[in-house]
Amino acid sequence: MNASDSRLDDLRRAIRESDPQLSRFDPLPRIICLDDFDRGMCGWTQLVGNYEDTLDAMLPGYAQHSHAMLSTLPNWDFGSHGGVDGSYALKIATRPRKGAQNVAIKRLTFRKAGPIRLEAYFTFKPEATELALSETDIRSFGFLYDLQIGDTSGPGDRVMPHLRFLNAQDGQHIQKWQFKRRTTPIKPIGTAGKTITHYHLAPDDWEDLPGGEQRLCYNEIPTKVNWHYLRFDFDLAAMQATRFQVNDRVFAMDGYDCIRIPAMKNLWCMLNLAFFAETDTDKRAFAYLDSVCLSGDF
Amino acid sequence: MLPENLTAVVARNESWTAESATEPYEAGWAKEAIVFVRALKQPKGRLPKARVEISADGIHWCHEGSEFDLPAAKDAVTFQRLTHFGSFLRVAATLPEGAEITVLVTFHLKA
Repeated sequence: MNASDSRLDDLRRAIRESDPQLSRFDPLPRIICLDDFDRGMCGWTQLVGNYEDTLDAMLPGYAQHSHAMLSTLPNWDFGSHGGVDGSYALKIATRPRKGAQNVAIKRLTFRKAGPIRLEAYFTFKPEATELALSETDIRSFGFLYDLQIGDTSGPGDRVMPHLRFLNAQDGQHIQKWQFKRRTTPIKPIGTAGKTITHYHLAPDDWEDLPGGEQRLCYNEIPTKVNWHYLRFDFDLAAMQATRFQVNDRVFAMDGYDCIRIPAMKNLWCMLNLAFFAETDTDKRAFAYLDSVCLSGDF
Repeated sequence: MLPENLTAVVARNESWTAESATEPYEAGWAKEAIVFVRALKQPKGRLPKARVEISADGIHWCHEGSEFDLPAAKDAVTFQRLTHFGSFLRVAATLPEGAEITVLVTFHLKA
């Protein structure tokens, strides 16, 4: 970094640190989006599955998805919890069926294949239908990118980095981060030969992130939540993860990799980001975000 | 800034029989809503009215008082206007034996 760049970096940092909303993030030089859900849905929507002619063609994994909500985290016992600041957070709720999942997604494209950084404040809880701690009712909380190289940048792949916090499985409190390298077989949809589908959040093929065990603050009854900080750095040029941090822990990413499938004919420069929740019991799982900052070095 | 305005699809291609309802939808920020129900397939049997339900916690539900027809034919649409519904909202119906409808339920919400 030369002297001019260093001065610019200092100035940028001073401006950001004087803004309470930005000061809780460490973004790269260009902020692509800063989604505080006190301003609405901010472009986060439901992940609908692919179909042609009939919605019956949609894979069951996608058919279960529903719309995220602007939530005050209301609870039957003490009322609205609120966000990190302001009243609202984005709520992703599963259906009340063991293994049910739900996803919220934001769909962008990128203008430079370089480093990007995803930061978010998140928390999760099961629906408080019992007067019990319920710490093993949520199976997982996670996030992913869905990326593809530019149309003249190839050869290259569609790349889908996934990470999830496996909180519990079959009643066992596991608490570790996992990643995925495989999706389900690609299946054609309809008869026009234009659409395919696969379910990349299928419960199979998750692998443990080396050193990825982490005990998160869950609090002491099923309605209290604490917010966690998450940061995931990824290089769109190398299509590799470079750093992953949750709260005070930074995880080694040497053993990490992504789902990699052949590039598709209409997804060039795709930059989708998504968060998801999964329940381990017949009880709704709720994941909350407040807020999400995506930044890039360009 | 313009007030929030959201189209939320809360049930898509779901087959309703017996006791059926949309998933709880939290929208305390909205002052008004229109619930649209479209039949995606030809309904079967005698259709009851749909009812609007509200809740303080998304767990315990009350009949809000509004009732409206379910669509009687494929691609027919019915709707219900709502105001002052608190935080949690859902649409429910009790279908008699032999009745079935495949629905697309959409909430149009405005702050």
